Amino acid sequence: MIALVVVDAEMTSLVTIDNVTQTFALQDGGQYVALKDISLEIKEGEFVSLIGHSGCGKSTLLNLLAGLTLATKGGILMDGRQVTSPGPDRMVVFQNYSLLPWQTVRQNIELAVTNVLRHLSREERRELVDKQLKTVGLSTAAEKYPRELSGGMKQRVAIARALAIQPRLLLLDEPFGALDALTRGNLQQQLMQICQEAGVTTVMVTHDVDEALLLSDRVVMLTNGPEAEIGQILNVHLPRPRQRLEVMEHPDYYQLRIELIGFLQQQRRMRERRTAVTAATPAAPSRIATVVRLGYLPGLDIAPLAMAIDSKLFDSSVVQLIPESFADWRRLEDRLVEGGLDMAITSATTPLQLNLGLGNRPGQKRTPWAAITPMTVSRNGNALCLARHLMDQGIGDRASLVEWIQDRDKPFTIGIPQHHGIAELLLRHWLTAGGLNVEEHIVFTMLSPMAMVWALRTGAIDAFCAGRYRVAEAVEDRHGYVLATDLDIWSGHPEKVLTTSEAWAAAHPDALVAICSGLMQAAARCDNSNHRDEMTRVLSQPQWLGTRSGIALTRQFKTGLGDSSPELLRFNQFHADRAHIPNRSEGTWLLTQFSRWGWCPFPTNRQELLALTYRQDICDQALVAAGFQALPAPRSTFALADGIPFNADEPIPYLKTQLQGSAPPMGHAELPAASTRQPVLIPTA
Amino acid sequence: MPETSQLPPPISPLSSGQDQPFLHFEGVGQVFKSRSGEFEALRNINLTVSRGEFVCVIGHSGCGKSTLLNMVSGFLHPTSGSVTMQGAAIESPGPDRMVVFQNYSLLPWKTVRQNVELAVKAARPELDPASSRQVVEHHLEMVHLSNAADQRPGQISGGMKQRVAIARALAVSPAVLVLDEPFGALDAITKEELQEELLAIWREQKPTVLMITHDIDEALFLADRVVMMTNGPAAGIGEILEVPFERPRRYEAIQVDPRYGQLRNHALDFLYRRFAHDVD
Repeated sequence: MIALVVVDAEMTSLVTIDNVTQTFALQDGGQYVALKDISLEIKEGEFVSLIGHSGCGKSTLLNLLAGLTLATKGGILMDGRQVTSPGPDRMVVFQNYSLLPWQTVRQNIELAVTNVLRHLSREERRELVDKQLKTVGLSTAAEKYPRELSGGMKQRVAIARALAIQPRLLLLDEPFGALDALTRGNLQQQLMQICQEAGVTTVMVTHDVDEALLLSDRVVMLTNGPEAEIGQILNVHLPRPRQRLEVMEHPDYYQLRIELIGFLQQQRRMRERRTAVTAATPAAPSRIATVVRLGYLPGLDIAPLAMAIDSKLFDSSVVQLIPESFADWRRLEDRLVEGGLDMAITSATTPLQLNLGLGNRPGQKRTPWAAITPMTVSRNGNALCLARHLMDQGIGDRASLVEWIQDRDKPFTIGIPQHHGIAELLLRHWLTAGGLNVEEHIVFTMLSPMAMVWALRTGAIDAFCAGRYRVAEAVEDRHGYVLATDLDIWSGHPEKVLTTSEAWAAAHPDALVAICSGLMQAAARCDNSNHRDEMTRVLSQPQWLGTRSGIALTRQFKTGLGDSSPELLRFNQFHADRAHIPNRSEGTWLLTQFSRWGWCPFPTNRQELLALTYRQDICDQALVAAGFQALPAPRSTFALADGIPFNADEPIPYLKTQLQGSAPPMGHAELPAASTRQPVLIPTA
Repeated sequence: MPETSQLPPPISPLSSGQDQPFLHFEGVGQVFKSRSGEFEALRNINLTVSRGEFVCVIGHSGCGKSTLLNMVSGFLHPTSGSVTMQGAAIESPGPDRMVVFQNYSLLPWKTVRQNVELAVKAARPELDPASSRQVVEHHLEMVHLSNAADQRPGQISGGMKQRVAIARALAVSPAVLVLDEPFGALDAITKEELQEELLAIWREQKPTVLMITHDIDEALFLADRVVMMTNGPAAGIGEILEVPFERPRRYEAIQVDPRYGQLRNHALDFLYRRFAHDVD
C-alpha cells in the first residue's frame, strides 16, 4: 500500500528472521506447515520472548535460530550472514538441562569453554569458569555432580555453561518449564540479573506471562499452529533494572499482562472454534458444481465480477454462479444474513459489523452473525461530491468547506450509501482532522447510490460520498463537483470485500476458492490498461452499469472544478500491491473507528474477532489457484492523510489521540457461536 | 449444559442451615512423631467453612496444606483441637467427602465409564441400575468425556484422566470435595478447561470445596476465599483473602477487573515477601 511506512529502522539488528516458513513432511505423505511467513528483527542486546500455546511453533522458531533446522522458505540472518548450522555464537539452553552426569559442575562448564575458547590459557579458562559459577551463585557447588543438585541449580549450571563461551545470542527453550512456581520465580530473577550484566541478546520461549513480562523488552505472540504466525508484538516498556515483585506493582503491569492473557485466551477459543467448525463440516463434496448466489450493487468496484463472468473465469466444474443485483445495501445484507444469498460483495466494514451485531442504521443492534471475508475486491474509488452551487460560495478545499459549514446555522447533509460503512468512516476522519465537529455539524443520510444524484439536484442533500461512477454522473450532468477523493484521505484503503458466512466457507471450501480465484484473475485484468476497452465493453452491458459507464472509465477523472486534474492512476485499485489480502491491520483500524464514534466498545478480544473475520488462508489458496504468488499481509505501520501513524499492535494509544487523550470504552465482544448448521435456504423470487 | 432435573437426589440429605458452620476447625494442631523426634506440622488452626463454599488453600511446600485437608478426608486425626462437619467430629473417610489427587488414581484395567460406575455403585447402592447409569452419563457429559467413555486410562491424556477423576468424585454427590493440587501437572489450556468444567459442576451441585493449589491465578478464579498458610514447622493460617468477583466468573473478565491485580499482588507479597521460602 502506498501509505505504508517502515518504522524502527534506525537501530541495528543482530538477527533478522526474514519471511520464514517451516514445513514438515507427514507420514501419510502430506505436509504440516508449522510456521508461516514469520518476519522479525532482533536488536543487539534485546531480550525477546516468544509466547503461545503448545503447537504454535515457538520451539521450531528457536531451533531455526539455533541453526538446528533450516527454514523451508525464507531464512535467518545473524550479523548479515545466513544461519545454516549450529555455532558457538548461538547457545541454546533446553528445559531438560542436558548436563553430562559423570562430570562435576565445574567440569561441565570447563568442557564447553575448552572446546570453544581454545585460544585461552588454562589459567584464563579457570578464571572464566570461576566467574561464571559466581555469577549464577554456584561457587560452592562447583565440585558436585548433577544428580546432587536440585532442578533449579541444574538449570543455573546450564545457563552458566551457555554464557561461559560468550555467545552473541542466547536461546532459552522454556528454561524453567520443569520447575515449580516458587523455584521458577527465584531463577527468573537471577536470569534477569545475569542477562542484564552480560548484555547478551536473548530469545526465550515461554508460556508463562509473568516470566515474559519480567524479562523481555518485547513479547512476540504466536498464533495457533498449523501455519502459526506472529499475532501481535508487545513492547514491555517497564523500567529496568526490574525486580520480580516490584515490577508487578508498576501501574502498567496488569495492563500489559491483560494484553498477553487476552491474546492467549483468544487463541484458545479460536482453537476450540476451529475444532467445532471442522467437526460440523460435511464429508468431501461430490464433484457437482456448487450453486453460488452472489449479491452486489452495481458500481465500478464490481468490475472484477463483471469481467470474470464475461471471460468465464469461474471454474464451471466447481461453481455455478448466480449474480443478484441489489439497489441498496440494507436489503443485500438482510438477504445475506437470512441465507437468501451465499455471499456478497460488500463494504469493507460489513464483515466486522455483522460479527459485532452492529446494524446498518445508527444505534441499531442485531444478532451477531459469523461472517468472514476471504478477499478484498477493490481499494479506493470513492469521492466526495458537493452540490454545484457551493462552488459559487468559493468552496474549493477542505479548509473553505469546514469554515463555511461552521458559519452556517443548520447542519450540512451528506448522503452516504450506508451507515457505519467505509465511506462514512473516511469522511468523519477527514472532516475531523480538518477541525470540524462532525457530530455537531454534519447529518449523514443513507441513500441508495442510485438516488444520490437526484437527491443532490433537488437539494435534499448538500453533498454525497459514493463510488466513482455515481460521482462521474453528477459531474457530467453538472449537478456537482468533486472536492476530495479517498486518495486524499487513505490511499489504498479497502473498499469492497467479499463476504460470506463462516459456515458456508467451511462447507464449500472448493467453491469459495474458485470464486476468489476467478475474481482475482479478473482483477488483474482490470488493473491492466491494455484491458481498458474490454472493461468498458463489459461494464456497458445493461446488467452492470449500462452505456454511461464510459464516463466513469475515462482516464482523466473530471472533478468539475475546471482545472485539468492530475492523472489519478490509483483511483480504483483491484489487484496491484497485494490488493486482495484481507488485512487484519486494516481491520484493527476499522475497529478503532467504530469505537471512536461510540458505535461499540473497542473489543478486548480483537485478535479473535479479526482472525474469525479475515481469512488470509483462503486468500492464499485462491491466489495460488489463480496463478499468483501468495504474499504475507504487510504488518507495518501505516498512516492516513493526517500523518498519524497507526500501529495495529498498539491501537489504544492511537485511539486515545483521537479521543483527546481519554481512554476508549473497552469491552469483550460476544462473538457469534461457531455455526454448526448449514445456512437456511430461502428460495429466491 | 446437560439436563439435570431428572437426576436422582444425592445420598446424604443434609440438614438445612446455611448459617450454621458446616466445616469447622477449632484449635487444630498436628504433631508427627518420628525416630528423629517430633515434628509439629500445624499449630492452632481455626477456620469455619460454610456449606457450598469454595475455599482454596495456598502456601509453600511443607506448610501443612495436605495435612490440613487429610483431616477433612478423615485420613488423619488432629493431635489437638477438633475438625467437625455439621457439629460431628470427622472420624474416618466416607463417601460424603471425596478426594481428587494430582495423580488421578484410576483403575487402569477399567474403562472411563466403569471407573465412574464403580464409585457410584459403591457409594450410592440405593440407586436402581437406570438411575445409576444416568448419573454416570451425566457426569461424563459434564466433563466432556462422553465420546471417550469406553476407553481405558492408558489410552487417554493426562487432562482427560483428571476429568475422569473429577467426574468420579462428583458422581457420588459428596457434600465435600477435597482437591489436592488436581491441575498441577496439566498444561495451561487443559488446566483452564478443567477449571471451567469444575466451576460448572460446582454451580450445579454446590458441594463444599477445599482445594490446594500453588497457583494464585487459579485460586482467584475459583475460590470464594483463599486461605494463605505461613511456613512450617508449626504452620498456621497467615491470612484469608476474600475474592469478591461475581459469579458465574469468566477468566478474562476477572483479569481486567482492577481489583484483580491488587488481590494478586497482595497474595504474591504474602507468599514471596512476608512468608518467603528459600528454596534452592
